Amino acid sequence: MDIQAALAAGRYAAARPATTPDADPPGGSGAGAAFARAAEDFASTLRRGETTAMAAMTGDADPHALVQALAQSELALETVVTVRDRVVEAYQEILRMPV
Amino acid sequence: MSDFSDSLSVSTSGLKAQATRLRHLSENIANADTPGYRRKTVPFEQAFGAEGAGGEVRTGLVSLDRSELERIHDPAHPLADDSGHYEGSNVDLVIEIADAREAQRSYEANLKLFDQARQMSSALMDLLRR
Repeated sequence: MDIQAALAAGRYAAARPATTPDADPPGGSGAGAAFARAAEDFASTLRRGETTAMAAMTGDADPHALVQALAQSELALETVVTVRDRVVEAYQEILRMPV
Repeated sequence: MSDFSDSLSVSTSGLKAQATRLRHLSENIANADTPGYRRKTVPFEQAFGAEGAGGEVRTGLVSLDRSELERIHDPAHPLADDSGHYEGSNVDLVIEIADAREAQRSYEANLKLFDQARQMSSALMDLLRR
């Protein structure tokens, strides 16, 4: 009995490294880098929307540019919020899983 | 970024171009009675956006209509020559109004497409949300 428990613990310890996440290659094409690029893209879209809105308030930008920037920000925000909701949902699904 | 985003910016360039066209049209109509005024025409040309989204439209350099100016008989006018005529503008109000209506229709089409792209993207997000 004890030997079996020790064996199981040993197997478990041996299998653990397989579940650790891979470090992303620097500047490579891993999922982490792709997420970072997407986040950067989203942030730059929002930033552009904000600067255009400010410019339109001070009369520097025309209303077309404002409408375009706001619509693009809305599109990007909607995408990000939906993806986040799905990720959180999946995580909660895993947490609720009977082990 | 995505095709939706690109189509939004292309539609916006169309809106901007039609607005510029309408501005020059209103200049023409405002100056319809100005002596010696030549009507302005704006050409449209294809532009390439800074972010690689090709196919955008922009207005080119304004050119003046070289057709003959209308000669108006009014000997009392300070600009009248020996025969009692002076040169008016070559603006034809009917042409200007027709052009303005065309600009309006084009603007509406671009606006419709802008809204269409937005609706399509939000429908796609609805699908993902379910």
